[in-house]
Amino acid sequence: MPKISRGFHALCIASIMTFLLAPVILVFPISFSADAYVAWPPSAWSTRWYVALLHNEEMVTAFRNSLIIAACVTAITLIVAMPAAVALTRWNFLGRDALTSLFTAPLLLPSIVLGLAILVIFAGYGLVGSWPGVIIGHLVITLPYALRVLITGLSTMPAFVEDAAGTLGADPWRVFRRITLPLMTPALVASAALAFIVSFDEVVISLFIAGTQLKLLPVSLYHYVESWTDPLVAAVSALLVLGTLGIVLIVERAIGFGKAVSK
Amino acid sequence: MYLEVESLEKRYGHFAPSVSDLSFSLGQGELLGLLGPSGCGKTTTLRMISGLVQATSGKIKVGGQDVTRLPTYRRNMGVMFQSYALFPHMTIAENVAFGLQMRKARHADIAKRVESALAMVHLSGVAERKPRELSGGQQQRVALARALVIEPDILLLDEPLSNLDAKLRDNMRGEIRDIQQRLRMTTVFVTHDQTEAMAICDRIIVMNRGKLEQIGTPHDIYENPATPMVAEFVGRINRLEGQWRSDGAIAVGDSLLQVKDGGGTGRVLIMIRPHRIDLGAWGTASAGSAEENTIAGTIRHVTYVGDTFQYEVATTGGLLQVEKATSSMADPFQPGDAVTLRWKTRDTLTFSTEIAG
Amino acid sequence: MTVSTVDADARSGGGRLLLTLLLPIIFVNVIAFIAPVANLVAMSFREATATGSMKEGMDLATWSSLVGDAYYWSMLWRTIWIGALITLVTLVLSYPLALFVSRAEKAKALLIVLCISPLLISAVVRTYGWMVILGDQGFLPALLRSFNVTPPRLINSQLGVVIGMTEILMPYMILSLLSGFGKLDTTLEQAAETLGAGPLTVFRRIVLPLSMPGVLLGCLLCFVLAVSSFITPKMLGGGRVALLATEIYDQAIVTLNWPVAACLSVLILIVFGTALLFYGQLSKIVE
Ligand SMILES: Nc1ncnc2c1ncn2[C@@H]1O[C@H](COP(=O)(O)OP(=O)(O)O)[C@@H](O)[C@H]1O
Ligand SMILES: [Mg+2]
Repeated sequence: MPKISRGFHALCIASIMTFLLAPVILVFPISFSADAYVAWPPSAWSTRWYVALLHNEEMVTAFRNSLIIAACVTAITLIVAMPAAVALTRWNFLGRDALTSLFTAPLLLPSIVLGLAILVIFAGYGLVGSWPGVIIGHLVITLPYALRVLITGLSTMPAFVEDAAGTLGADPWRVFRRITLPLMTPALVASAALAFIVSFDEVVISLFIAGTQLKLLPVSLYHYVESWTDPLVAAVSALLVLGTLGIVLIVERAIGFGKAVSK
Repeated sequence: MYLEVESLEKRYGHFAPSVSDLSFSLGQGELLGLLGPSGCGKTTTLRMISGLVQATSGKIKVGGQDVTRLPTYRRNMGVMFQSYALFPHMTIAENVAFGLQMRKARHADIAKRVESALAMVHLSGVAERKPRELSGGQQQRVALARALVIEPDILLLDEPLSNLDAKLRDNMRGEIRDIQQRLRMTTVFVTHDQTEAMAICDRIIVMNRGKLEQIGTPHDIYENPATPMVAEFVGRINRLEGQWRSDGAIAVGDSLLQVKDGGGTGRVLIMIRPHRIDLGAWGTASAGSAEENTIAGTIRHVTYVGDTFQYEVATTGGLLQVEKATSSMADPFQPGDAVTLRWKTRDTLTFSTEIAG
Repeated sequence: MTVSTVDADARSGGGRLLLTLLLPIIFVNVIAFIAPVANLVAMSFREATATGSMKEGMDLATWSSLVGDAYYWSMLWRTIWIGALITLVTLVLSYPLALFVSRAEKAKALLIVLCISPLLISAVVRTYGWMVILGDQGFLPALLRSFNVTPPRLINSQLGVVIGMTEILMPYMILSLLSGFGKLDTTLEQAAETLGAGPLTVFRRIVLPLSMPGVLLGCLLCFVLAVSSFITPKMLGGGRVALLATEIYDQAIVTLNWPVAACLSVLILIVFGTALLFYGQLSKIVE
């Protein structure tokens, strides 16, 4: 390729990459703005919005609630998806593929439709705005992710090691404990992280079923942006980006470590 | 008999059975080969014996006790998998110790037995390594040690040598036979390689399409194959078609062949191994005797492959392959030479029932 | 085939154990997926009274009032064409990037993580980032002003929605394209070059046709997500860009007319089904 066209090519790629990452990156400088509203360039720099955030009771509560919900959802997701993944990969039965598709189908449904559907039915049982209601609502979308990751993990396990353990005298439960479980640690870590992030970030379904009583961070952010234009949300966003980065790094280390163990 | 298998059958779904009507028995300390082409049901048979697959019908007995419905983990059989199936997250020592831990052996006892098992397969130095840090041959020995350390009633080996390169394969073959003899271990050895089976097995079962074709010693299988399939599977062989005559001889083209225990009517399939045929220049032949068959032919094609010449000879009965050991002298025959083919009567295999194939 | 399975009836009590393992997930799916969706479809055949309560019985009243209302037709049309536009822009931007990433020799893993990781960040945060960039006092207008260009209206407009949605959906498109490029063997291109094809011909005759399955999958995914997304149009459209999804939210939460919201939901599902049918047909042609 001629030099000029190659330079142009590189410029295009760099621009597209910038476009893709711009919104995530630009919240950082804005979060340090000293202005009372979002404006570029900020007239001065400060940490006042981080301080304001600490004193914003709604945001702090919402953050705490979101953490608790995400932790519960993650735990329940694993407890529910793990046996299901084992059943769907280790048993041969009629309708197995159909069931697998059914369990991953909620991912294909628009979350606005799912949120509305859950709202309509949960409203009748007083579950809207309740902790169990929100947790169940989130489970519907975290389960398919976790199930997929776990099924992949279980079906790409080295050939016949479970059979081998059986021939050496391990009953099915001990095969699971000593062989299957350790070998699927990477998949477990990945699905836990995914469930946590999906639940913590979920906004559409939460908007419908968290109501006004149960404050969740993405919902509170959404409502805040609707009525305020100050950089407070930029401060929250910057923290969330860093938090996500942290989780990704932890998972990378855990799975990298897990892979090293299992190879 | 130590291991008895009676009319074993396995169907997966509604397909034709993968194994059917399989019966055999095995004495204590015997090494039995399970030989057959890929897909003939060897692995399925082995997995039924180990309990990893439930037999659709039939019985499996070990030492007189029916184990057909016993789950794998209560059968006490040592299994070596084709892919070795070593536990990737455990060290070599932990791999070998696993079966003993399942049997709740004492700690000190486990350490001692693991050590001696690894010594037996010459792997004492690698106990603390992970399987991925070993070569294929070493992994294979670990798999063998892991299967043997539990002192299994029966050792089951599924194509244990097929992942090794040729030289290592011959070494390991001898070693497996050695250990098996030393421990007097009743063993079933699955392979699709007839040389491997011949070399180490006391008896061999040849399987085809899920059915037993023949069971016998390597010598039996080779010299007296029960079916054309067996004859073809255990070595190169010529096929000729002929017609029984009332005097017990067979007419092939315009020649007559004698057979060792003749008799029959209608068409007959004749099989002769290429290296059992002697070639002579035309005219050196005496007429066929009761001991020997002769037939005239013309050399069509000669191939030199180092230790043998392979001749393709046209006869009135059809094309025959003939194999002759080479010597330092020049190629004795050229294409177009008229020759006499000669072979022992007892090397003439006949199959009356199956012409087809 | 790496792992063996058991037949359901193979172990004693195998069937019961199987059921026990599957029961929790079945329970969650029934109460929070199957029952609600079925109930929602049923809801579309009911009718709300002026007070917001529901009339008895099921009929097509809500459906027929919707079908007779030009407002909804224009909204449906707008939703579809904005969805298609977003899909197209996303494809045009993602294709070169995905191709570059799949060919990268150095730091390929890092590039892939960079392209995909925005997925892990909440849509609210990313959309907020776009408000920071596109807002009247934002980054881009400031940049344009410094070049003495009067910025167009970027936020609270369809343009803003298209820009934001494009960025939000790019990771999905890149993922699909990468899976398609995975099958692209560079030796094929080299073979074409030895046969005398120039770079453009190689792209047109080899790369593009072979990457079509990934392109189609990415387009399906992006279109479907664009049509049903609600947060970004709401935040960047500022109430001025009425789409099916935003209308569903308004009907359900503000107006509290659930039957209308249910009808619009079913409508979105119909758009989904149609897109899937198109995808199936196009895939067959591409094969
Ligand atoms: N789990 C299974 N499901 C269905 N068919 C199988 C299964 N395992 C083996 N088979 C079939 O059974 C036959 C015998 O297979 P196998 O015992 O693996 O043969 P071999 O080990 O002699 O190569 C093959 O036709 C194979 O396709
Ligand atoms: Mg096999």
